[in-house]
Amino acid sequence: MATGIKDTARQERLYRLYRTFFDKAEQERRWNPYRDVPYDKINPDAPECLVTVAETFCCVESYLPDYVSKGINLVRPYFGQAWFSANWGYEESKHSVALLEYLIQSGRRTPEQMFDLQARLMSLDWTLPFDTARRMTIYGCLQEMATFVIYVRQEQRARELGDECLSTIFRLNARDEIAHCRFYEDVVKVLLEEDRIGTLRDIALVAKGFQMPGVGIVPDYEDRIKVMREEGKVDRAIFLQKVYFPVLKYLEVTRQEILDAVWSEKHERRKHEDPQCQTLT
Amino acid sequence: MAQSRSELLSMFQKTATEVVEREFATISEKTVISELGIDSLGMLEIVGSMERQLRIQLPDEALAGIQTVADLISLVEKKQSAAA
Repeated sequence: MATGIKDTARQERLYRLYRTFFDKAEQERRWNPYRDVPYDKINPDAPECLVTVAETFCCVESYLPDYVSKGINLVRPYFGQAWFSANWGYEESKHSVALLEYLIQSGRRTPEQMFDLQARLMSLDWTLPFDTARRMTIYGCLQEMATFVIYVRQEQRARELGDECLSTIFRLNARDEIAHCRFYEDVVKVLLEEDRIGTLRDIALVAKGFQMPGVGIVPDYEDRIKVMREEGKVDRAIFLQKVYFPVLKYLEVTRQEILDAVWSEKHERRKHEDPQCQTLT
Repeated sequence: MAQSRSELLSMFQKTATEVVEREFATISEKTVISELGIDSLGMLEIVGSMERQLRIQLPDEALAGIQTVADLISLVEKKQSAAA
C-alpha cells in the first residue's frame, strides 16, 4: 500500500469525488423501493420474456453480499472509495428488492420460488474478476455503463409492453447505475494522472477480459441471455458503441493511445524475452 | 497510394495473425471476424494496427458496425478515397 504525500493527495481527491457523489445522491436520487414504485401499475399480462428479464436482473443483483464484501476490501485503504462502496451496496440493495417485489406482487413468481432461487444463487460465490483496486475500478466503469445501457433498453421495452411498474424500476435502477459509472470514471481519471501508461494498460486488460457479473454463476444463465438478447441485450456492437467508446470519451482517452500502451508493453516483454528484438508490432 | 481490396485482405490476415498470435487457415472477405475467435477488443487492435500502417484514422462510430472482413475493407477504402 502506498503511503506518503502522493497517497495523501490521492486520498483527498478521492474523498472530494465521494463527497460530490454522495451529496448529489442525497439531494437528487434517493428513492424507496417499497413506496416509490407503482406496484398497482403492474401489467398482469406482460409477456413471460419481460418477467424473465426482471428475474435475471434480480439474480445478478442478488450477489450483493459478494460484490460488497470482496469489493470493499480491495479499496479499504482509500476512504473515498471505501465509503463509496458502502453507499453503492445500499443503492444496489434497493435494485434487487424492487425487482423481487415486482416478481412477487405481479403474481408471476411465488415467494417460495424466489427464496428457493435465492438459496440456489447463494450456493455459488461471485469472485473478483480482477485482483487490484485499479482494475476493479475500471471494471466498475464498464460494468455500470453496460448495466445502465441494458436497463435503459429494458425500460423502453417495459413501457412498450404497458408495464409502468417495471419500467419505473428499470428507470430508477438505470439512474443509479450511471451515477456509479461516473464516480468510477472520475476515480480512473485520477489514476490516469498518477500513472497514465499503467492505467491505459489496465483499461485494455479489463476491457479484453470483460464479462458481466452473472456469467457462470446465475442458474440457466445461457437461456436467460438468449431471452435478454432477443429483448435488447448488449451485443458486441452495442458494447463498443454505447459502453466502451463513451467510457473512453469521458476519460479523454483515445483507443489509439490504449493500443500504443499495449504495444509498448508487448515490445518490452519481447525485448525481455529476446534482447535482440527491435521491432514494434 | 490506396491499396487494392486484395492487398487490404492480406494486410488484415497478417495483422490478425500478429495480434492474436495464431495462424488462420483461410480468411476471405466474407469471413465473419468474430468467427475467427477475435472479440471486439481484438478487432479494435487489428483496426488500430491497420490504421497505423495505412496512416488513416477510422471513425469510432463506424467500427461498431463491422461484422465481416469485407465491412472493414470497405470502410478503409471509403476513408482512403475520401482522403485522396
